[in-house]
Amino acid sequence: MRPQLQQSGLFRAITVASVLALSAGALGAPAALAQVQGGELVVVQGSNPPSLDAMVTSSQASRNINMNMYETLYGFSEDVRPIPILAEGVEISDDGLTYVFTLRQGVLFHNGKEMTSEDVKASLERYRVVGATANKLDPVREIEVTGPYEVTFHMVAPTPTFLESFSSPRAPAVIIPAEDAEAEAGRTSLIGTGPYRFVEFVPDSHVTIERFDDYTADTRHDGVDGFGGRKTAYLDRVIFRIIPEPGAQVAALEAGEVHIVEQMPMPAARRLADSPDITLYENMPWAFTTFHLNLNVPPTDNVKFREAVQVALDMEAIMAISSEGLYQLNHGWQYPGTAYWAGDIGAEYYNLGDVDRAQELLAEAGYDGETFSILTDPNIPQHGRAAVVIAEQLNGVGINAVINQVDWPTALSIRLQDEGWNGWTLQMGIEPYLGPVGTIATLTSPARPHFVVPDPELDALYQELISGVTLEERQETFSRIQARMYEIFASIKIGDSGLMQAGRANVQGFIPFRFPRMHDVWLEG
Amino acid sequence: MTADAGPAAAPPSLAREVARARRRRRQGFLKRLFGHPSFLIGFMILAAFTMTALLAEWLAPYGPTRINYRAILAPPSAEHWLGTDGFGRDILSRVIHGTQVSLRIGIYVVVLTGIMGTVLGTLASYVRWLDALIMRGLDGLMAFPGVLLAIALAAALGPSETNAMIALTVAFTPRTARVVRASVLVVQEMQYIEAARAVGAGHGRIVFRYILANALSPLIVQLTFVFAVSIIAEAILSFLGVGPPPPAPSLGNIIADGRSYVQEAWWIAVFPGIVIAVAVLGLNLMGDGLRDVLDPRQRLGRDGH
Repeated sequence: MRPQLQQSGLFRAITVASVLALSAGALGAPAALAQVQGGELVVVQGSNPPSLDAMVTSSQASRNINMNMYETLYGFSEDVRPIPILAEGVEISDDGLTYVFTLRQGVLFHNGKEMTSEDVKASLERYRVVGATANKLDPVREIEVTGPYEVTFHMVAPTPTFLESFSSPRAPAVIIPAEDAEAEAGRTSLIGTGPYRFVEFVPDSHVTIERFDDYTADTRHDGVDGFGGRKTAYLDRVIFRIIPEPGAQVAALEAGEVHIVEQMPMPAARRLADSPDITLYENMPWAFTTFHLNLNVPPTDNVKFREAVQVALDMEAIMAISSEGLYQLNHGWQYPGTAYWAGDIGAEYYNLGDVDRAQELLAEAGYDGETFSILTDPNIPQHGRAAVVIAEQLNGVGINAVINQVDWPTALSIRLQDEGWNGWTLQMGIEPYLGPVGTIATLTSPARPHFVVPDPELDALYQELISGVTLEERQETFSRIQARMYEIFASIKIGDSGLMQAGRANVQGFIPFRFPRMHDVWLEG
Repeated sequence: MTADAGPAAAPPSLAREVARARRRRRQGFLKRLFGHPSFLIGFMILAAFTMTALLAEWLAPYGPTRINYRAILAPPSAEHWLGTDGFGRDILSRVIHGTQVSLRIGIYVVVLTGIMGTVLGTLASYVRWLDALIMRGLDGLMAFPGVLLAIALAAALGPSETNAMIALTVAFTPRTARVVRASVLVVQEMQYIEAARAVGAGHGRIVFRYILANALSPLIVQLTFVFAVSIIAEAILSFLGVGPPPPAPSLGNIIADGRSYVQEAWWIAVFPGIVIAVAVLGLNLMGDGLRDVLDPRQRLGRDGH
């Protein structure tokens, strides 16, 4: 709090305010806020981004960084509606077979080139090949360039949910320069249109991005809105530091070496709740805690056995421990209070911890002590902790549950095998956020369902869901989906967990979201 | 040359005399050993450790994997003497059961290392043409620091108690084999070996009855160190997540569980840490005592005062 510092801070604030006032033009100046230009902010996360080629990965560790560098035509607003970001808008024909996207003009890539419809077509064609969720473009028969700032999608069939799935940030269909269109996965020049641009990536150490001074802000908005809106980068640089050890992350935050901890351990959060140096940001709900069973191998190929697992589990104990206390009980496959919430369907099977009934069902299933192997990993702490509690509870009803704890990449490859595992603990973060289509897509064909063997009835319901014309129709379908989930007991919903984030008190403007938005954030003092 | 009669046996009176002398020597040795203060303290610590492990079922107030979500991260109290961990599991019970894992791994590694080391060491020195082959192979293994080799092996084999034992055995065998080889080399040049050969004893009899019996003491000292190092190494492996998988308690993985909570729940990491420290101290004291008693030069030095 030395006077010179204050002065320079104020000086910078005035400069920024006047720049803003000039650039804001007719829209009126948001100069009342004391944003500070400059500075270097450090965000810490637990693992390396698998790729900085945003299309090819659906990993949170990548998204955290990539969504500051890249943008999509459409993306979700704060209240999860598709809004145009790089697009000016879209016109959908009455028969639902043509989508005409108009592009914003004057948007510059990090290499200084202007984005045109050629880039858009090239990017989306690349997405069809390398995109981690390339099937979201399956409803699109052809992408046609119909003007320098206009692209037309010709659809295979009307797909009412297309714009939502197209806007999904899970593995975002970002727009990159046409020159990168032929690049293999992970081989692009990492150029996007976002408010920050790539500087360097040192694996196991950090990723650095810097402000893109020629960023073309979306002036249709007054401020940030979800993945879009009017974005203003204040920071000179943002460093995403990789620190695997949660204790070390917290220590670095307390020491002031880092500014934001992307996932804060709850005991540390409780300890620091009153600290004047630390601000806590609670995100609730953030993810589904789920337990997926392998329908391809005994004993989990038997629906009676799976029902026994469902009724044996005491969800409250699993959630309290796996989330370290930041959770809500929820049997549903959507969050309470959202459009597709299906009410009490299935609640009678949830959070029972009923040993007697589980043992009856096991006897009915003819279970005779076969090994029940639970696949899990320590890298996402909720996974390993949930597995330990689940194993203990299943052992309690006489199931021979053992834990196979391997590192996260290994777990991901084992669960793609048809055999060798019975149960798999998984935090589903982005899917429930995307709504019912995003969630159920992971449990049905054409993707490989998390529970390995597709259920034809669930598959049919999914098709019905994505082609339902009105919201009411889709809600009704989703209710039947949830009912089906509690008939096949293939994936077990444990509960909803929250995400605690923490920042230094001098970090201003940070609003927690599905990724740490580094625009409209500044450092005070 | 292959006389199968028993001319090797000494006259009865002489045999009795030899046996008595041997007993006297052993008694003197044990007396000196237990008279040595650091050996005695170390022995008592280790005995307590062993008893804890053997009586774990009776000593532990709770099951080591019993979860109680209503008592997560509870500090030490009358109910949970050493507090609880993030699963509400009783730390005292986990530490007590954890000593069992340490002890089991320690014993298996000592036995396996002893067998492997003896076989390789004896073969290397007794069968001359095998010497270079075996010893160069072992030198290769010894190029890696023992614990590092064990970590690499355990990581490659996958986390399990058996794999931890295998990894530690492979890591500690070369040193043990060297010790055995060295003392067998000395012993096999002794006149009584020549005598045994002269009276027609077979290789098996010579090796087991005469050579190994007389080359054993350095091996025993070496194995006590292997035991001590195994307990630490097991803790290291478990801490790194390549020891016994969860939810099995082991001193190392309890500490690993606690490292994220050092500031909020110090008791998780501190108590098993103390147990490891004390156990290692005990084993080192024992080792010091053994060295003092067995090393003739040091004994002379002390007796001279």
